[in-house]
Amino acid sequence: MNREVFRMERVTYQENGVTFLKDFNLRIDEGEILGLIPVNGYGLNAFLKLLEVNYPLEDGYVYSRGEIINSWKDSKRTRNRISVIGAENRLVETLSVTDNIFVLRKGFRQEVIRTGLLRRQLLPFLADIGMDIPTEMPVERLTVFQRVVLELLRAVVFGQKFIVLNEIGALISYEELDKLHEILRHYAAQGFSFLYICLHYEETSRICERCAMMSHGRILKLIPCNDEESAERLYTAEYKRMVRVHMENRQEKLKAQRQAFAAEHLRGEHLRDLSFTVGAGECLAMQILDNSVFVELRSFLLQNQVPEGGELWVGKRRRRNFSDRRIAVIQELATRTMVFPELSYMENLCISLSMRVPALWLRKSIRRSIRREYGPILGEEVFDLPVSSLTERQKYQMIYTRVQLARPDVVFCIQPFKGADLPHRIHIWRLLEQLMDHGIAVVLVSLNLSDSLSMADRLLVIGKEGSQEVLRKDFPTLAEEVPWMKPV
Amino acid sequence: MSWKEKWKNKWKYISNRVQVLGVLALVAFSVSGAAQLVAAETGKGVLFTGCLTLLAGATLAAAFWFWVVHPYREHEKVEKRFLAGYMFSREDLERAVLTPTMREQMEMLERMLHSPQLMDLNKRQAQYLALQNQINPHFLYNTLESIRGEALIAGLDSVADMTESLAKFFRYTITKVENLVSVEEELDNCETYFGIQKYRFGDRLQLHIEYDPDEWEEIMNCRIPKLTLQPILENSIIHGTELKIGEGNLWIRFRRTENRLIITISDDGVGMDEETLASLNAKLNRGVDAITQQPEEKQGGIALANVNNRIHLIFGDEYGMHVYSMADSGTDVEISIPVVTRLESKEERV
Repeated sequence: MNREVFRMERVTYQENGVTFLKDFNLRIDEGEILGLIPVNGYGLNAFLKLLEVNYPLEDGYVYSRGEIINSWKDSKRTRNRISVIGAENRLVETLSVTDNIFVLRKGFRQEVIRTGLLRRQLLPFLADIGMDIPTEMPVERLTVFQRVVLELLRAVVFGQKFIVLNEIGALISYEELDKLHEILRHYAAQGFSFLYICLHYEETSRICERCAMMSHGRILKLIPCNDEESAERLYTAEYKRMVRVHMENRQEKLKAQRQAFAAEHLRGEHLRDLSFTVGAGECLAMQILDNSVFVELRSFLLQNQVPEGGELWVGKRRRRNFSDRRIAVIQELATRTMVFPELSYMENLCISLSMRVPALWLRKSIRRSIRREYGPILGEEVFDLPVSSLTERQKYQMIYTRVQLARPDVVFCIQPFKGADLPHRIHIWRLLEQLMDHGIAVVLVSLNLSDSLSMADRLLVIGKEGSQEVLRKDFPTLAEEVPWMKPV
Repeated sequence: MSWKEKWKNKWKYISNRVQVLGVLALVAFSVSGAAQLVAAETGKGVLFTGCLTLLAGATLAAAFWFWVVHPYREHEKVEKRFLAGYMFSREDLERAVLTPTMREQMEMLERMLHSPQLMDLNKRQAQYLALQNQINPHFLYNTLESIRGEALIAGLDSVADMTESLAKFFRYTITKVENLVSVEEELDNCETYFGIQKYRFGDRLQLHIEYDPDEWEEIMNCRIPKLTLQPILENSIIHGTELKIGEGNLWIRFRRTENRLIITISDDGVGMDEETLASLNAKLNRGVDAITQQPEEKQGGIALANVNNRIHLIFGDEYGMHVYSMADSGTDVEISIPVVTRLESKEERV
């Protein structure tokens, strides 16, 4: 007999009169790892809220182990024993690993904290999953992967049998993800149930047997993950066509190109001898296998940190670090990190251009000219809107156009597809293509390959020990889990 | 009815409560006003009367909130849902406490919605949908038996088998009068129906039945509303696999949890787009719409709405049907009903 851990039956949920979930049905069995792929992100946050707290519903029922815990008739606003693990750190950063797991537990009644005893209690849990985390270390000094495992362990110790993992693949490297999957399978065998929320089918199919497709606050269908046909169906015809056209066009465009950027023997605390070049209008995907290398490379790009050794070349000019007008960086979650709500749309758009055109803010004619040129592309109405009221799509458009206006030689995009649902990923893809069409070299810095691989002309796999270059013709050998890479 | 029950019954209505609270408020403020005047005149006990007024005000406000505002919101919720097309049950009526007259009106409406006549109407609608035409059953049986006899004499075994299946299907559909039947009977009828369809589609159509062998006997003994599976199977063939080029597959999957029986009827047909799916599920959930729907509207999904409506009427709105689908990806219809195995339970429910 199947044991249901959690069930949502025809749930309709509204906030301020806006419907976020409509006739939402979902069921998770004991010991199951169920995938959830948001085809678009609408309603996902509301769903996560409802998992954690029993807010009033417009319609439907929520069951936990067969018992009604929330319904349209009666909502007690109680918290559910469900743990959500994602980008947001839910641990107390200044406390140690053991304190986070044991001392913050609801039933912990001891007035004197016996650290040694707690440590001895924790070690079997760590040994059980083959992890070695320093138990006395404050959480703030842990790596992202260690933090994720710790949150998982805390949920296990707290006896929370249903755990939600929200977009974990964007936080940790491939190797770490494999290890995490191993841990999830281990706990699933012990009766723990997991909801694995992930925007990429290829990642979901590695761990889940079935996955729910969510769109506009509804579950469209539950599909088996071991079925190759389901992957084909999953990605829209638009996406598949876009990848195909891109792959055909790239062969033509890449014939002759000047070198836009080069890094030679770049070294840091974790990074070992990284060398690569990228040509004008070329796309290089970097897959970083180690999270510490990723963090270090990100700090080189964003915090102007000077590498311990090596040389950087922008065109024919040598540079000490990445701080140069001709190197642009698009941060991860760009619509949150690269939008300045207190500035107007025009100011947001031209903020990088002022380095190239110093008189920009003095001369209205330049700004008028920009508006005339980009108005038909961006839409005339956006120039008069407050930036905070722009849609996600308009924000992406604004950020990528900002980079295009600055005309850098190379643009580094840190996890550009992170947090974006399928329609937004298609949009980002097109914006990146536009940059390449303008002769700008694009470097995609990612932990996973999902969308980057089908866009890239070359791939650079970077680990702690060094890097390895993979040419486009060899991509299909890597792409067993990326079905749209197969020849059509 | 004892005086206690009478008393309780009287004060559950918001209209009565408002009258009492109104009178109390008037008395309290008159008394406190007078007391304050006296206190101001004499210069003694100003603070005491002030505190007393505040206390009386706070008590009245709290009583108003818990005794009037909160129940009124509950009442409004039931009414809003009804206007939005949702069915309401006797249990929901406990929240409809605005006035005694309004409660009586709603009780009458509830009786009408849950009347055996309406149940029969729904069942009959299902029968008509299954048969497609209103035909005289006895005349039909006799004619089919005659055809079968003629076919056997002429050595046309396939025609005889087909006629036998058709007669069996009609007999089950029309003559069995119970509302609840065993899963086994219902599945048998599905197989008969599928057998008839096989003569039309040949090997193009395959039916797969999936279950946990350990639970098979238990599942077969569960009781479900009559004509639950066949209309959905028919829907899957007509709107799913028939429109598909090449071979089509249908699955009936049974799954049992501690207190639910979950039956999923799937096809690998053409599926449907997001908008169609959303409107179909919305139609299923609005029970009142399904009842008031005119057959001549000829909208898709009437058969599904009918089955879902009967499940709601028999088992309550916690159970029912949900459709999952994506374009070119087939359709799954999931039916969730409580585990009812004994015949007595059936009679209690119907």
